[in-house]
Amino acid sequence: MGFACIYIPDFLLQAVVRGQRSLGDGALALLGGTPPLWSVVAANSAAFHAGIQLGMTKAQVTQFASEAGVPDSPARPPQVQICMRSEAQEQAAHAALLDTAWSISPRVEDTAPDTLVLDLQGLTTLFGSEEKVAQELACRIAKIGLAARIAVAANIETAIHAARGFPGITIIPPGEKRRRLGSLPLGVLTAEPETLDILERWGVSTLQALAALPVLQLSERLGQEGVRLSELARGARRRSLLLAQPSASFAEEMELEDAVEELEPLSFLLGRLLDRLCVRLDARALSVRAVYLRFELQPSFEKDFQVREEARKKPEPKHYRKVLSLPVPIRSSKTLLKLLRLQLQSDLPPAPIQKIRMTADAAAPRVTQNGLFAPAGPDPEKLELTIARLAKLVGQGNVGRVHLEDSHRPESFRLEHFAASAEQSRRGTALLWPRKPSATNAIAVGALRIIRPPEAVRVELRNAQPARVYFRGVRGEVMAASGPWRSSGDWWQEDPWQHDEWDLEIEFSSPVEAQHRCAPSSQEVNLTASQQSPPCALYRIYFDSLRQSWFLRGIYD
Amino acid sequence: MYTELHARSAFSFLEGASVPEELAGACAKHGMTAMAVLDRDGVYGAPRFYLAAKKLTVQAHIGAEVPSAFGWRYPLLVQSRAGYQNLCRLITRMKLRARKDQGHVDRDEVAELRAGLICMTGGEEGPLAAAVAQGGVGAGTECVRQLCDLFGRENIYVELQRHHCREEEARNQVAVEIARKLSLPMLATNGVCYATPDERELLDVFTCIRHHRVLANAGRLLSRNSERHLKSPAEMQRLFADLPEAIANTRELSSRLEFTLKDLGYEFPRYPVPAGSSQMQFLRERTLDGVISRYGPGNEKVGKQIDRELALIEKLDLPGYFLIVWDIVRFCREKNILVQGRGSAANSAVCYALGITAVDPVGMELLFERFLSEERGEWPDIDLDLPSGDQRERAIQYVYERYGKLGAAMTANVITYRGRSAAREIGKALSFDPETLARLASLVGAWEYKDEHDTFERHFHDAGFDVRHPKIRKFFELCLKVQDLPRHLGQHSGGMVVCQGQLDAVVPLEPATMPGRVVVQWDKEDCADMGIVKVDLLGLGMMAVLEDSLKLIREHQKEEVDLARLPADDPVVYGTLQKADTVGMFQIESRAQMACLPRLRPAKFYDIVVQVAIIRPGPIVGKMVHPYLKRRQGREAPECLHPSLEPVLSRTLGVPLFQEQLLRMAMIASGFTGGEAEELRRAFGFKRSEKRMKEVEVKLRRGMEKNGITGKVQDTIVQSITSFALYGFPESHAASFALLAYASAYLKCHYLAAFTAAILNNQPMGFYSPATLVKDAQRHGLRVRAIDVTCSDWLCTIERDGEKLCVRLGLRFVKGLREEVGREIVRERGIRGFASIDELKLRVPGLQKSELTPLAEIGALNFVGNQAGFHRRDALWQIERASRRAGPLLEGCEESDAALAEESATSAATIVGTNTANDPIPKSSIKEYSPLPPMTPEARLVSDFRNTGMTVGPHPMSYHRETLRGQGILSARDLLHLPDGSKVRVAGAVIARQRPGTAKGFVFLSLEDETGIANAIITPQLFQEEHVVLVNQRFLLLEGRLQNQDNVISVKAERVRPLGITRAETVSHDFH
Repeated sequence: MGFACIYIPDFLLQAVVRGQRSLGDGALALLGGTPPLWSVVAANSAAFHAGIQLGMTKAQVTQFASEAGVPDSPARPPQVQICMRSEAQEQAAHAALLDTAWSISPRVEDTAPDTLVLDLQGLTTLFGSEEKVAQELACRIAKIGLAARIAVAANIETAIHAARGFPGITIIPPGEKRRRLGSLPLGVLTAEPETLDILERWGVSTLQALAALPVLQLSERLGQEGVRLSELARGARRRSLLLAQPSASFAEEMELEDAVEELEPLSFLLGRLLDRLCVRLDARALSVRAVYLRFELQPSFEKDFQVREEARKKPEPKHYRKVLSLPVPIRSSKTLLKLLRLQLQSDLPPAPIQKIRMTADAAAPRVTQNGLFAPAGPDPEKLELTIARLAKLVGQGNVGRVHLEDSHRPESFRLEHFAASAEQSRRGTALLWPRKPSATNAIAVGALRIIRPPEAVRVELRNAQPARVYFRGVRGEVMAASGPWRSSGDWWQEDPWQHDEWDLEIEFSSPVEAQHRCAPSSQEVNLTASQQSPPCALYRIYFDSLRQSWFLRGIYD
Repeated sequence: MYTELHARSAFSFLEGASVPEELAGACAKHGMTAMAVLDRDGVYGAPRFYLAAKKLTVQAHIGAEVPSAFGWRYPLLVQSRAGYQNLCRLITRMKLRARKDQGHVDRDEVAELRAGLICMTGGEEGPLAAAVAQGGVGAGTECVRQLCDLFGRENIYVELQRHHCREEEARNQVAVEIARKLSLPMLATNGVCYATPDERELLDVFTCIRHHRVLANAGRLLSRNSERHLKSPAEMQRLFADLPEAIANTRELSSRLEFTLKDLGYEFPRYPVPAGSSQMQFLRERTLDGVISRYGPGNEKVGKQIDRELALIEKLDLPGYFLIVWDIVRFCREKNILVQGRGSAANSAVCYALGITAVDPVGMELLFERFLSEERGEWPDIDLDLPSGDQRERAIQYVYERYGKLGAAMTANVITYRGRSAAREIGKALSFDPETLARLASLVGAWEYKDEHDTFERHFHDAGFDVRHPKIRKFFELCLKVQDLPRHLGQHSGGMVVCQGQLDAVVPLEPATMPGRVVVQWDKEDCADMGIVKVDLLGLGMMAVLEDSLKLIREHQKEEVDLARLPADDPVVYGTLQKADTVGMFQIESRAQMACLPRLRPAKFYDIVVQVAIIRPGPIVGKMVHPYLKRRQGREAPECLHPSLEPVLSRTLGVPLFQEQLLRMAMIASGFTGGEAEELRRAFGFKRSEKRMKEVEVKLRRGMEKNGITGKVQDTIVQSITSFALYGFPESHAASFALLAYASAYLKCHYLAAFTAAILNNQPMGFYSPATLVKDAQRHGLRVRAIDVTCSDWLCTIERDGEKLCVRLGLRFVKGLREEVGREIVRERGIRGFASIDELKLRVPGLQKSELTPLAEIGALNFVGNQAGFHRRDALWQIERASRRAGPLLEGCEESDAALAEESATSAATIVGTNTANDPIPKSSIKEYSPLPPMTPEARLVSDFRNTGMTVGPHPMSYHRETLRGQGILSARDLLHLPDGSKVRVAGAVIARQRPGTAKGFVFLSLEDETGIANAIITPQLFQEEHVVLVNQRFLLLEGRLQNQDNVISVKAERVRPLGITRAETVSHDFH
């Protein structure tokens, strides 16, 4: 006797119901796909009975559900609950299923999200008969909120097919494999659609009919696939278990007796966790690609007495998360700790920490071969530290490599993480010698200092041209204007834009009277205090037609 | 005053977003007196722009953007007729030597053909922009100098465009500098790509389609802003306030462009006549020869008519045209190709005498003016029907040979964005996934009838889209905007234009997809509007059926049937028509025709002419059908609208049914001349305009008043004339079709086997699918044999079964079987029969598994090797091995494993259940059979329909008749004997669904069972409620009331539900 297969029918549905028990009763349909094109990917029998079909779109299902909700509707279908498919819940259900399987047997095959196979060798001494093992399995699976079909057979494939084909618990004695499997439809087999199509044309619809076909002749027609299917149908296919490997995600957890609030003691604890992780990674010759920190925070009891009623209604965060993504895999716990400290320094958890969970994504260590003549690039670990220090100074998301986007939208760029690869170093070397400007392109272009974010300005028009501009607390007379340079786009998106840009030569007079001033932002106040506008300069301003406002885009040098 | 001289229409395929009419409209709206459209690579939109502009009193300048070898384009404006001819030649040369959309012109060619053309320096795609980008001011100056050398200084304008773009303005500064340096005139244009700013979105979508991108990743390929619309003169003057001369020059240049399309210079070819004879004389001689053979000598009435027609032909200088058409007909007769003129040409006695048409217009008193009139000032239209396929191609190639490659061409067919194509392309640009697009496209139905629910919103809703979502909303808007915009140029099915001299000087020519053919850049309507004579060589499936039938009759029944000498009053034919037993017959087989036949009860040829014409939207909308039928049945007295109209309407019992009657009514009641009457028909025709219709109506009423016809009678006459001018048939055309209808009915009644084989060989055509045609033939006693590789040809053939003839289905009906492979099977079989499937595969190596499988599944391999009891699954078993050869080393090795043979025998006995231990499979043939069970009747049905779309076995319904009878479900035949108003239940396979535009939302279904066809009427309400079932289900059960009116039987459905009796994929011929 050998193997037990766990099969969870309607896995997508069960995974969602497991997360939301209230959904368990009545008709339920799941929507999947990409918005706004959701469609039904799974439904229970009650939903099918009510008229739901796979592939129905969200709009159709919504309409269906609304009709179902109309009490006077003559042919009112029963109420159908509509939910979104949840990959997170599916992963959670699968992980829980794996844990349950491992709790019975150390040898588990992760066949599919809804199917696991366990090696039962030696377990009868622990649990009694195979039936008892199966019952124990069913019992434990029920505890994690799933309903499973379980089949026990002498070989893996037979167990899988029996679990897919028969409800409840099925025990197939060694001599009865062919007979028991015979009644199952071909659909339980995993086969190429073309092969199943041929079998359907042959009129072969059950495993019994397939098993009865002569193997040699079958192999002449379907090749090795035919032999394989014949063996599967007869329950004669044997193979080894593909043992499920523990995932490449390493987790360590620490629950604290006394909650920690300061960075120094927290660093000490983080260092210990990192040491543990790195030792484990070292044993498997792996490095860290990313670290996920999850702090469980202490509820702030004393504050409850102080906060107002409405504020108390606002849920207080229970967890605090941090992610450290690394451009190259690192295994030095010291470096990792420094990086984590830099991240936390600028952004500490809002409440004392009582539990820390650290998860590391592992990857193969970095292997580099430096070129003989290529200048050595910066050490990636040091570079990463430098970037982290810069991020601490200027804020996360404000450090990186600028990548201009292919768009007419002004200032359209994105920041990419800065990392120096060997290739980039070479490219950098080549750029050490600047290109000669070509004679044909020698058009003098002044530099434009972009103001980010754009400052609001007030503009007075004369003959549909800017004549006077108020900003930074001063008034400027427009001496010369060039424009409007018009651009618009992304009209199919929810955030289209439409700008009329002007290049203005502005001569400033004395600070403006109070009534003409725009409400200064804090930034503006700083600017006006520290940087007085020159008496005459070139500016780029624009009118945002959708927001009906003027803004300063930049200043020409 | 500003004139826009550089605009692109949507005929710059995917580079413009407005049709020429919109541009002309916007131009008139802005008060501009002239405008130039320069489409890319051609003058595709020129006729439409010219006609639209003419109506709006805007001067339409013509031009084109012609690509150079360096990637930029010459923006060329036509100054004179010579310039136009040069432009057409330039484009033709480029097109004919290059692959689609890849041509360019060389400098030498431009130098050769520059006369009469004016070149601008262009916008961002022009030569100046390219030169400045490459080498700044210096290169730009050099470029303009070269253009001056090429076109002459006086023909170069330095173009300036302002779209509020910095780079463009920098280029403009360079252009201004160059213009001043070289003392050349500057010209302001806006490089228009669309009429209004809103259409920029569509242009962006087109840009995506052109570059195979989606909006999300098209980046700077998209427009920077929406400034390329047609701007008003005031706006342009404001934009170019600093350069007023650039605006003023537009006016000056416009005044130089003297050419319009009115001045096309087209000339119809002269027919070569013997020395000493003129074309007119030659035509007169040919006509008089024809008169004698058609009418015999001394027919005075005919003589008068012929003289009148010839006089008009001479006056209008048209003898060449008649001779050229006569020449094509003569060629067809010489080559034994059936040919028959249709349309208004049948009104001409000259055409009849020349053998162009087959209907006697004098005998039928047809109106010549409907064909040709002096007032109309346009070319006559002669359409020739030819058998579709190779025979028509021979006639077309004859015209090419006779007039040369540059003297004759096919007319184009402008393919426009319609519901499905629009949804697919726009959806793709908006990044919708293919599955969603397919779902949407399949649901964007196009029923002829549109009710208030038949909106785009409804289709989107049916496809599961929420139109409130912004992205979906945009999708929806764009789909609406793109409707009817040109998508690409196709080839018209049969319209040919010919020209005296060089056609490439009249309109640019392009290579067609089919080798050896060229296409003009204008469609049929544009050619007609521009006064280019066209001859339509139309392929008519029924002509091919008739021709093939005659061949088969000659071959198998040794009889010679002459269509021109068929018995005129065959009682069997009229008896069949009166019973509406007309499946497969030309023009009288549709559901609506069948519903009319038992009431009209045709008894002579003219009744068929009426029958063909009466089921048309014109008579139906004009409510002429019922009065005519009532009068015909004697339930109502014939009454003419006015006594003066009696001579016109008496033979149609006082009801106007034909266009000729409409013209004659106008002539008699209002005193119109023949030409004025034809003008009236055109005013109410396809290109109807409210203004023109009103004018004609006023004239009509004024004339009637003058003749004393007033009040209600006047209103009735006006209404009957106007209501079906658009959709009515000309009597001549109906008569031509009636001839074919009679011939098809005669052949079907007397030579069913030949007719059935011929009609099956010419599918797709007609109203019914092959499955229905086969079942109908079987019900008429014809035996139809299944496809069999041991005796089927590629086409259906006739076999003898003792004394009787039967039809053997051809391999052409096997889905997925390539014609060359099918013919190879037939060829190899002719050499020697196939001993086994293996041998078949070896001798026809091109036969792929995907072709063997359907052959095996339909039983076409059952008789290979003459093995008794060999069934379809045996063949399926064999082909799997045959298509997986063991390789040359083991090829031909016999299986020697005795145990294997034993095992096979045992397994076969176990599964098949027919072979027991006492009845073992003979060992010698073990390897040829299989262990598989034979197919059940249901499996055979499924296979037959899946692989051939039909079955020659019993109808799917017949397997369930007993059960259905138990449920009170009647057969189609049962309905014949029930009284009107009976409550009935009927079921069958849906073979046709119709929702005609004239039926106010009613849907007509035809349900077929083993006894015949039952007709059902679905009310709009039931259709709304059961839309999905009615449209998607193959078998339906209907409950409702029987309507039996004058032996026209139908069921008015009250309930409908799907009937799940088989998985067979029967086919319905749906007319949306």
